[in-house]
Order: sequence, then C-alpha cells, then structure tokens
Amino acid sequence: MSDIQHLTDKEKEIAQLLKTVVDPEIAVNIIDLGLVYEIGYNEEEKSIRIIMTLSTRGCPLGDTIIQNVEVVLKADFPDFKVNTEVVWEPMWSPEMITEAGRNALENL
Amino acid sequence: MATGLNTKNAPSPSVVLPHFAFAALMFLASSVIMLLAAPKLVFYYHLNPEMLALTHLMVLGFITMIIFGSLYQLIPVVMEVKLFSEMLARITFYLFGIGLLILVASFWEATFGSNQNWLWFEVSGTLILTAVILFAINTLKSAAKSDRMDMGNIFIITAIIYLILTVSLAILLIINFARPFIPVSVIDLLKMHINLGLMGWFLFLVIGVSSKLMPMFLIIHKLPEYLLKYTYYLLNAGIVLLVSIFYFYPHSWAIIVSAIPVFVGIGLFLRFNYYAFKHRFRKNLDVGMKLSKAAFIILAFILLLGLFAVISPRFTAAFQYRIDIAFVMSIIFGFLTALILGQTYKTLPFIVWLQKYQAKVGKQKIPLPQELYSDRIANIHNQTFLVAFVFLITGELANQVWLIRAAAAMFIITAILYNYNVFKIVFHKEKIIKNE
Repeated sequence: MSDIQHLTDKEKEIAQLLKTVVDPEIAVNIIDLGLVYEIGYNEEEKSIRIIMTLSTRGCPLGDTIIQNVEVVLKADFPDFKVNTEVVWEPMWSPEMITEAGRNALENL
Repeated sequence: MATGLNTKNAPSPSVVLPHFAFAALMFLASSVIMLLAAPKLVFYYHLNPEMLALTHLMVLGFITMIIFGSLYQLIPVVMEVKLFSEMLARITFYLFGIGLLILVASFWEATFGSNQNWLWFEVSGTLILTAVILFAINTLKSAAKSDRMDMGNIFIITAIIYLILTVSLAILLIINFARPFIPVSVIDLLKMHINLGLMGWFLFLVIGVSSKLMPMFLIIHKLPEYLLKYTYYLLNAGIVLLVSIFYFYPHSWAIIVSAIPVFVGIGLFLRFNYYAFKHRFRKNLDVGMKLSKAAFIILAFILLLGLFAVISPRFTAAFQYRIDIAFVMSIIFGFLTALILGQTYKTLPFIVWLQKYQAKVGKQKIPLPQELYSDRIANIHNQTFLVAFVFLITGELANQVWLIRAAAAMFIITAILYNYNVFKIVFHKEKIIKNE
C-alpha cells in the first residue's frame, strides 16, 4: 500500500483511472477531492486495494461512489480483485482538496 | 460494508416521491387560494376561515408533507439505520393527505358561528393526528436503532415530539370549540398551537436537518456545534415558558420575558449559518443553496418583525394586528417556503437519480443529478418567489389587497414553475449519454 503522495507507477495509473470517478453532488473527482488516502497494487495476488473516505459520514451518495470506484477499476483490471475500504480516520477535511479540486470547485 | 454508507438504508423511492408530488400540488393550490381569499388576508380579525384554510394548506399540505417525505429519506441516511416500516409510511401518507384536504375544506366552508358543525373538523383532526402518531412511531422507532445521537439528530427527534404536541393541542381546540371545557381563551390556545407548530416542529426540524446537510452541500467542516447546543436549550426553555405563560398568565410583560430565550436561540442559529456560509469551500452556490441562503436572510428579518410582534410598542398599536399577520406569514411563506423550495433541489433529484442510475454508475455515461431538472426554470422561480414574498409582506403591513393579489399571482407563477421541475424530476426517463 502506498500513501496517495507516494505512489508507484502502477498505482499512479490507478489514481488516474480514479479521476474519472466524481462525486455526483459537486462533479469533482475523488482524487482531487482528497478522498483517496492509499492505493495498493499487488501483481502476484492480482488485487487492488483502495483506502478512502467520504466527505461526510452518512454521505447519501457513498455507496454510489464506492461502486463507481470498483466498476472503473474492474473495467481496466478485469482479472484483479478490487477491495475498497472506507475509513473515517483521519477525518476528511476541505484542506485535503488538491489545487485542481479547488479550481474545479470555484468554477462550479 | 463500512458503516456510514447508507444508500442501502434508504427507503424505496415509491415511499418518498408521492410526498414531493403531492406537496408541490398543494403549494400551487395554496397560491390559488391566496388569490381567491386576498381581501380576507388583511382582515383585522385574522383568524377567519379563509386565512386558516390557506395557512393550514401551506403548513400541512406543502411544508409538512415534504418534510415527511424528506425525513423518510434522511433519517436512514444520517442515523445509519433502516426505516422502521415502509408500509406505515404509505398509510401515513394517505391518512395525512386525506385528513388535511378535509380540514382545509372544512375551514373554507366554516362560519364559526353558534350553529357551526364540527363533525368534519373532528374527522379530519383525527385522521391527521393518527397520521402524525404513525409518522412519529415510524421515525422514532428508526431513530431508536441508531447509535449516532449528535445534536442534529436530537433536534430532529425533539421536533417530532413537538409535532405530536402541536396536533394534539389542535384536536383539543376542536373539541373545546364544540364543547368548551378548557378555562383559557381561544386566542391564547391558538397562540400555544402556533408556537408549538412553528417553533417546536418547524424550527427544531430545520435546525436539525440543516446541521446535517450544511457540511455536505457547502463543503465545510468543524462547524461551531456548541452554538447549536445553546440554541437547543434556549429554544426549549422559550417554548415551554411561552406555552405555560399563554395558559397560566397571558400578560404582555411575561410573554416578552419568555420570548427572550427564543430570540437569543434563533440569533445563535443564524450565527451558526453565517459561519457556515462564510467559511464554505464551495463558493458558487447552486440554485438550491441560493434559496436556502435567502431563507436565512428572511429569518433575520423575521427576528426583527418578531420583536415588534412580541413587544407591541405603543407606536405600532394602531396597526399591531398587521405586524402580527406579517410576522406569521413571513415564517410560512418566506422562511419555510424558501427553504423547502431550495432544498427540494438538494434532495429530490438525488433520490430519483439513485433509483434510475445507481446500477449504471461507472459503466455508462449518465447525467448528473442536477441535470434532471431545468436550472433556468428554478432560477426564474427563485426570482418570482422573492418578489411574491416582498409583495405579500408589504401588502400585509400596508393593508393593501391589491398587493396581496399581486403576491398571489407571483406565487402562482412560482408554483407552476416549481411543479414543472418537480414533475420533470419525478417522471424522469432514464437517459444514457452517448460518447462523442
């Protein structure tokens, strides 16, 4: 597993794919929103593990976002097992939004 | 599945959507009634049949009905539990809808003279009270399963308890009209009923729900929740004091003293909202949040109007009744209506969107929830609503029937446009966007 700031090349590729997953409420992708904390890619075990959070506990669109993550990754890695884990620690805060995310929010 | 993911807790859309559709139609009906009853809405004797028909159609048919639907969706989401019974929710919808239509028709036809027939009031009151009790059982049983009791949830639960008290008191009022037995004036009993309803039910609910939704919609964290805690104690103290004073000692100085905690509580809630809007990350407000912001500005105005209504200074004595009417009308047709109109766009499109597209997310290119309605239409009815509100309150304060009629005309336009969007969302047909 790698922290979102220190990804391997393959994990960066996964992060790019996750940029197609948007929060439907604000139409900003989950990477730029800072929702993804860690990405793990295991070639031998054929598994991808995503550790992420949601902007608020009890987010009504939480299931949809998680499902979207899994669908997107399965499409590009059909032989891999995708495991998405939602955590609440550390708690997400707006400071985790990337520069690109802030720009997207300003242009909403 | 990690806790905190709750789409699967949400009830079937067929439980929730009829509430929104029915409420939208009742908003339109209220606007038409306002036009028809305009001369009676500036009457000195403001508790006349037409005024009572209009206010009850708005607060029960439009505002409460949409709140019922929203809470069936929201409670499972924010409290992380399943709704206790969808069947109970469906029964509640019919009992409540039929009860309120009979009640409004009874008010419209009433004379309140000595030969007034109270039968249909008793029937409708019983239907509404039964519906409210079923709603309370359903929501409180759901909440009881939750282990997430924060301030927002406590506000929502308290609001439901106040709703039961409001409707129970209404039933007592009807019985007392038919066979007087309560040793208190009808006017003071009505004031108790209005206080419990507007402050206990609506205000507590608004505070509870907004404390939940604000962080999601504005993208803000670490809100000053301590303000809500003080608000909770102050409002409860104020409501209990006011209701007791109206019953045991309805003198003006006692009413003024009892209202102080309410004013301070609302002031703190406004302070909470000001903080949320000021520190939000999402700077550009969408159509729903623009109206919600307008609602809080209207609430600040209501606070000012409320001061004059409660204190009744000597210089307003000649037209005090106009201030009282404007005060109550601005809560119903201003603050609550603005919030409901705005928050419809923050809830309804998501409910339908999840129903239609959840299984397709990531697999096909699909529209966003905000693409299920016309943003342009919503922006237009925001403007017509604000004009309608200004006309209405000015008309009440200046005692001008033509302004009330103008307000009603603007409300009708608002309601038609709002209905267009509501039904466009409710009857949305699945749409897959083709890749270019």
